[in-house]
Amino acid sequence: MPEPILALLKELLGYNEFLYRTIIGIGYMIIYPGLLLVVVVAALLLWAERKIAALVQLRYGPLWISRRIGGALQGFADLIRFSFQEVIIPRRSDLVPFLLSPGLALLFSLLPLAFIPIAPALRPPIYSDLALLIAIAIISLSPIFIVLMGWASDNKFAFIGSLREALLVVSYEIPLIISLLSMGVIYGSLDFYKIVERQNMLPGMILNPFAFIASFIAILRITSRFPFEISEAETEVVAGPYTEYSGLMFGLSMGLAYIKLYMYSLIVSLVFLGGWLPIQGNGSVAGFLIPSLVVLLKLSIVSLVAVFLRAIYGRYRLDQAIRVGWIYIFTISIASLIWSIALVYGGWVRWS
Amino acid sequence: MSSTVAEEIQRELIQTRDLGVTEEGERLIELQIGPTHPGSGHMRIRVWVDGDIIVRCDPDIGFVFRTIEKLSENRIYMKAIPLVERPSLLDTTPMTIGYINALEKLLGLEPPPRAKYLRTILAEITRIASHLYGIGILAIFLGHSTGFMWGFGDREPFIELANQLSGARITYAYVVPGGVRRDMPQGFPDNAEKALRYLENRLEDWYRIFINNPVIERRLREVGVLRKNDAVRLGITGPNLRGSGIDYDVRVAEPYEAYEELNFMIPVAEEGDAYARTIVRFEEIKQSINIIRDALRKMPSGDIIHPQIARMFNPLMKKIYEETRRVKFPGLFASLKPPKGEATARVEAGRGETLFYIVSDGSPKPYRFRWTTPSYRNAILFKYLIPGHRLADLPAIYGSLDYFPPEADR
Repeated sequence: MPEPILALLKELLGYNEFLYRTIIGIGYMIIYPGLLLVVVVAALLLWAERKIAALVQLRYGPLWISRRIGGALQGFADLIRFSFQEVIIPRRSDLVPFLLSPGLALLFSLLPLAFIPIAPALRPPIYSDLALLIAIAIISLSPIFIVLMGWASDNKFAFIGSLREALLVVSYEIPLIISLLSMGVIYGSLDFYKIVERQNMLPGMILNPFAFIASFIAILRITSRFPFEISEAETEVVAGPYTEYSGLMFGLSMGLAYIKLYMYSLIVSLVFLGGWLPIQGNGSVAGFLIPSLVVLLKLSIVSLVAVFLRAIYGRYRLDQAIRVGWIYIFTISIASLIWSIALVYGGWVRWS
Repeated sequence: MSSTVAEEIQRELIQTRDLGVTEEGERLIELQIGPTHPGSGHMRIRVWVDGDIIVRCDPDIGFVFRTIEKLSENRIYMKAIPLVERPSLLDTTPMTIGYINALEKLLGLEPPPRAKYLRTILAEITRIASHLYGIGILAIFLGHSTGFMWGFGDREPFIELANQLSGARITYAYVVPGGVRRDMPQGFPDNAEKALRYLENRLEDWYRIFINNPVIERRLREVGVLRKNDAVRLGITGPNLRGSGIDYDVRVAEPYEAYEELNFMIPVAEEGDAYARTIVRFEEIKQSINIIRDALRKMPSGDIIHPQIARMFNPLMKKIYEETRRVKFPGLFASLKPPKGEATARVEAGRGETLFYIVSDGSPKPYRFRWTTPSYRNAILFKYLIPGHRLADLPAIYGSLDYFPPEADR
């Protein structure tokens, strides 16, 4: 817990546990590591993606907005542009779901943060020993709203795009959930603190490499990274479920994939990469600031690898991607579950 | 096939009307891909999908019809040279060569050997640029942005090379009746060698990231298979024909310019799928490299314009020609009147065979100007290759055909 804030609050308001927890919780969700940080990371990630791809493709990438720092503010400029663009609502769209679903999709991809810790000294707003399961459960609600977007748009391409999204999400989320929960089997807990603590000797990706591979590939699909960028494939279905959206809502729906990537990378870096380890400490600096930066570093490595694949691969066909999902990724995730059970029952992992 | 074409069209029209509502209810969805769709180009592709499977595909061309034929019939012969370049901007010189060859047949002119070699070199430069463009478009259709950027980027040395030779980057109008406009500048062979070596190195990278890329391979293999007999029956030309195992190339079948004297091979692939067509394009780039090298080595010296035309130069033009080796058009060109008659010329352009047919009635304007472009002949493939495939295969097949709507529409 950052002590300076606590001291300040105590001085101003007296000691009020509930009020204090509420304020910290809101700060956690809105500022750090919540919405504000997510937007900043997503904008920088977008810039990094374009810059890395440009490096491979022998060109500059974003350049003219903030030239001195290599165009790093491009993402923010795009955000501003999207915010002030005209919003066009198709006359035949189903108005309420059309307007609500981008926001709801965003909400459900941000909410898991309420259960995910980012540092040892600060508990997330809602502490639960089933946090991993709850976080996955909540974030897997957001594709429903993407399907709803396509349905409400009344556009053939949006409709096809949302059907593709539904098919693909079903065939990749199941392996993802199985492989993440198989890590829960190894650690004997779904509590993120215990999960991180028990990677003291070996990070999870070495304990169960199958689970790491399966979940990384599944995350590539769920966050629409290449080679699985199929539901919004430009040359086939224009922009998929987002075809009819414009202005801020288009920005939201395009940013959604990056926000989800942030969230899944966060989960991956906690479950497979040892979270804030090797930093362990107390106080606002050693217990909060530095560990959270370590987590951010691991998170950005995971998501940078994910966005880098754009420069290498094209996109799979829908049926090929579904086949890959059910034949390979699903098998690997089942293998990871068996591996975990074997490790636990074979007595190779034992937690006191 | 027993039924006539008219019967076939009639049957398909009826079929079209019936589509949309079948016994099971509204099972098919009609999709209008284009003319304002990121994956359509300047055309409209109407497809009917049953689930993810395309049951019928109807290419609707003509959105960029520019009346090149009629415009040419209302202009003097010289003004059609830049005009025939416009429709296929990536592949300009073969088109002008075709037009000029037909015109030269009417006039009875035979260009000097050096001019023939220069024309050949520029035609091969544009072929490389055109193939790289086509592969780039195929890459972005498959979502492979690196291939797109590389395709456009690697064209650059060749556009620059053409710039040195002709003074323009895209529309060269380099070929004139009886010869070419400019001679090769000093140091051109060295620059050409540099560009060719650059591309040879780059092709290895291309193979690594695009051709041998597992995702690209899975997207293209066994997709859009054009069988040998279908390719012949539908009159397909160019790399699409050679990708189906038919060894036919106008450069060999009916050699024009300097191709007879140069060493090169015609790459052929047997499979007939989208992957084979892409491979053929890559192999053709390699052969074009060989042709340019060979032509530069064998380049004869001498005039670049037919002496009959050089004789008509006024003293200033003669001085310019002798000092800078640049051809200025004598006044006669403005009212060039070929004798009565007709002439055809065939040329292998980047995308396939192009044919020019000119009828002259002795006036300064052609009486009839007919031009068939390779894309126009390949457009029919949309109808026959795409049904039965999945919606996502449409861009893959489209890209692999290297179909260029402005070229087809003229």
